[in-house]
Amino acid sequence: MKKVDLEQEGIEIKKACCYFCHQNCGVLVYVKDGKIIHFEGDPDHPTNTGGLCCRGNVNLIHLDHPARVNYPLKRKGERGAGEWERISWDQALDEIAAKLAAIRDQFGSEAVATAGGTQRTDDWARRRFMNLFGSPNGFHNSHLCWIPTFMVETAIYGWCPFEIDLGLSRCIVLWGQNPGASTMPEMSAISLLKSQGLKVIVIDPRYTETAAKADLWLPLRPGSDLALALAWLHVIIYEGLCDYTFIEENCVGFDELTLHVEQYTPEWAAPLTWLTPDQIREGARMYAMNRPGNIQWGVAVDQLGKPAGSAMHARALLRAITGNLDCPGADLLTGPSPDFITDEEMELNEYLPEEQRAKQIGSDRYKLVTWPGYSRIAELTKKYWGKAPTAEWMCEAHPPSVFKAILSQEPYPVKALLVSATNPVNSYGESKQVLEALRTVDFLVTCDYWLTPTAMLSDYVLPIAGSFERPTITSTYGCSDFLLTSQRAIQPMYERRTDFEFWRDLGLKLGQGEHWPWETLEDAYLSRIEPLGYGVESYDEFVEYYRYHFPEREYYKYKEKGGFATPSGKIELYSSTLKELGYSPLPEYIPPVENEIDNPELAEEYPLVLTTGGGVMPFHHSEHFQIKELRFLRHEPYMEINPATAAKLSIEDGDWVWIETKRGRIKQKANLTEGIRPGVVYTQRGWWYPERDMRDPELGGCLESNTNVLTSVADEDCDPLSGTWANKGLLCRVYKAYDSDRKEDN
Amino acid sequence: MARYALVIDSRRCIGCHSCTVACRVHNDLPIDMIYNPVTTVGPTGVFPNVHMVHIPLLCMHCANPPCVDACPSAASQQRPDGIVWVDEKKCVGCKACVMACPYGARIPNHEKGTVQKCDFCKERIDEGLRPHCVETCHQKARIFGDLDDENSEVYKLVHGEHSIRLLKELGTDPYVFYIYGWEV
Repeated sequence: MKKVDLEQEGIEIKKACCYFCHQNCGVLVYVKDGKIIHFEGDPDHPTNTGGLCCRGNVNLIHLDHPARVNYPLKRKGERGAGEWERISWDQALDEIAAKLAAIRDQFGSEAVATAGGTQRTDDWARRRFMNLFGSPNGFHNSHLCWIPTFMVETAIYGWCPFEIDLGLSRCIVLWGQNPGASTMPEMSAISLLKSQGLKVIVIDPRYTETAAKADLWLPLRPGSDLALALAWLHVIIYEGLCDYTFIEENCVGFDELTLHVEQYTPEWAAPLTWLTPDQIREGARMYAMNRPGNIQWGVAVDQLGKPAGSAMHARALLRAITGNLDCPGADLLTGPSPDFITDEEMELNEYLPEEQRAKQIGSDRYKLVTWPGYSRIAELTKKYWGKAPTAEWMCEAHPPSVFKAILSQEPYPVKALLVSATNPVNSYGESKQVLEALRTVDFLVTCDYWLTPTAMLSDYVLPIAGSFERPTITSTYGCSDFLLTSQRAIQPMYERRTDFEFWRDLGLKLGQGEHWPWETLEDAYLSRIEPLGYGVESYDEFVEYYRYHFPEREYYKYKEKGGFATPSGKIELYSSTLKELGYSPLPEYIPPVENEIDNPELAEEYPLVLTTGGGVMPFHHSEHFQIKELRFLRHEPYMEINPATAAKLSIEDGDWVWIETKRGRIKQKANLTEGIRPGVVYTQRGWWYPERDMRDPELGGCLESNTNVLTSVADEDCDPLSGTWANKGLLCRVYKAYDSDRKEDN
Repeated sequence: MARYALVIDSRRCIGCHSCTVACRVHNDLPIDMIYNPVTTVGPTGVFPNVHMVHIPLLCMHCANPPCVDACPSAASQQRPDGIVWVDEKKCVGCKACVMACPYGARIPNHEKGTVQKCDFCKERIDEGLRPHCVETCHQKARIFGDLDDENSEVYKLVHGEHSIRLLKELGTDPYVFYIYGWEV
């Protein structure tokens, strides 16, 4: 046992957080002389009450891992050759700023784009930089993760009811969400409440960790969520299970909806979802008859591609017609915080001129999470709540279209890409095209912990401070009415800096000085929490004594506020905002992007249905493959296939197999499991091999087992509302891989 | 005197392996050593009628520990509070205990030439803390405590729920209890 004396003199206990997903579980870090000697989950933290997942436990290994990037690096040799020169931050920032200024002069500000990952950064700072620089072309892969849902729901109810009042709930629907492998604190709460009678419905093609604990598991055909949601609407309306008082008082468009969903019977949905009409009815009844209830958001619906927007719309209406909104035990419309300074208020969106907004790539086709839809929704929410949703995330360039613009120069050239906290080769759709764009773009800068495949192709790589080296405010992408705060346990090691410092310092080099008053991230955070009125002198003091701010929970806010933040002031089952943007005001049926009914020829060639994107412990997206204390749990990528299907293909458990869609093929090992329907295949996401040659073209085998080689970002496969692309419900074939073709050419 | 026991509530365990990683990291174990693996049984049955259960394993801290009896150098010992542990200074690495333990809980350390095992993080217990694997469990599926204390959670669970013990027919009298939520 590694014995650490925690009682010794000179130890400070810092209230930090884990930073390996956005739960930001509380951690107590024992620091002596600027060095961390011990850490544990914080038993008093409301999120995790002391628990830490696999990733949380490797924080110290991550902190000083030999593969971390510790100094600014400048490319010496050819792009991707892995030859670097260590330079100073000042030199790096000077040179990057000069290059960006030159690109702006020649091609316009919009020729500079930025790519982000999931929320592990202070991206209000990135947005602030981009607004002041004049480019509308920042993006994340947020399209795959909640953001379209947020905007569709806000169009309908005037905010997204992401805050679930679980303690008083009688039923929770986990729609394409697997907290058992992704959000441990939520899973813990669900298990506890289930033992007290909470009904748990899991909608997932896979028998997941969570499905194994459910009262009802609905293993639908991947990608058919929309048909299921429409059929649930039909059952609830035509079996008279609605909350008619709530509808009468608060909704408009019920008659139109009733007529619209008449056609979507369970019998209609059965062949589309591969569920029986009885299974569909049972789920709808369980949700509608166990009130109050919740529909927890899950990424699956965001990742459907073309039917995504309509599916979110239909799912959102389920809450409205059952009255499961903003009452005790339901999904709450908390609105943004009226008290602290939100992310949006830190972004300086007013500085981005109208003519630059109009140039946002993709906003001509996908209007909801770009400037056209965002402006309209922000106008409505500002009028009602006084504040708007965060523009970073909710109002972004369409990522696949930016990668295409790099390659085609259409609609105009994109010459620089600044990458922060993401490895686009593995995390964005259609990886081969993304890789080509990264190889092609004139100027590539990456801010990361590691030399990822993307970093390897960069002109500059900047070392970023990770968990324990940075303070953190957790506020659900800047949209919650509460916040949790965490301290920096130690100053960043080596020459690492926070992403905030990167954007600020780059801004200072480009003449944005007057807009960056805060010298440290703590100063910036303090200015955000000051209006809460706790009277603290410093941010650290707030964390030390208060740690979080939860306003008193108010239900039925709409009663007091006189309605909802929509044009009519009602919940718009028939959405005027969507109609105004040129979309259907009611959720129309759109089939999965590739399916056996509409594409029988394709289905003959690719007879299996593929679902991708689902996460597995201990990895997070495309991260942590280099940490052997985690990798030993799953050292190779596994796909799931039913034994009956595998037998037909002469595939045995543990065989390497190729999984191929019309866009390409990847290799993973076969896990034969009865937890997946015959004819359905699941692949693990994110995989690359940091232990291999990281130089181009090998790039750590970043295409070999990478599920995004299989996904589709074709315009016709993207959701017309948000532009989100298709990770689920694709057609594929699977066949055994032999030793001779173990390596796929990049 | 306390009698320490661990209850594993399989109704809550999701097989996330946090306990395995926490144990390895905090006990600084080499990469080929695991004190507390999590095994998953299933999905059993035929789609869609399937079932899955996770069975975390570790030293059972038996009341009649065969490993202690088998140890020729008196390195394997049991404390009065029930914790079975190895005094590394006395261990000669003969692996007699590895053969004797029916639970596979004895792990050779090839770097040190000794055999090691879970000792319920006894240094932490002595300071009034809980073992790392228990502390880290988000799901509260691992419940540690004093089985002699009628007010303890472990006492209530062991006496209030239908719990089972692994291979108890061998007479080892294990002090790790499993709750499945149904008769086994």
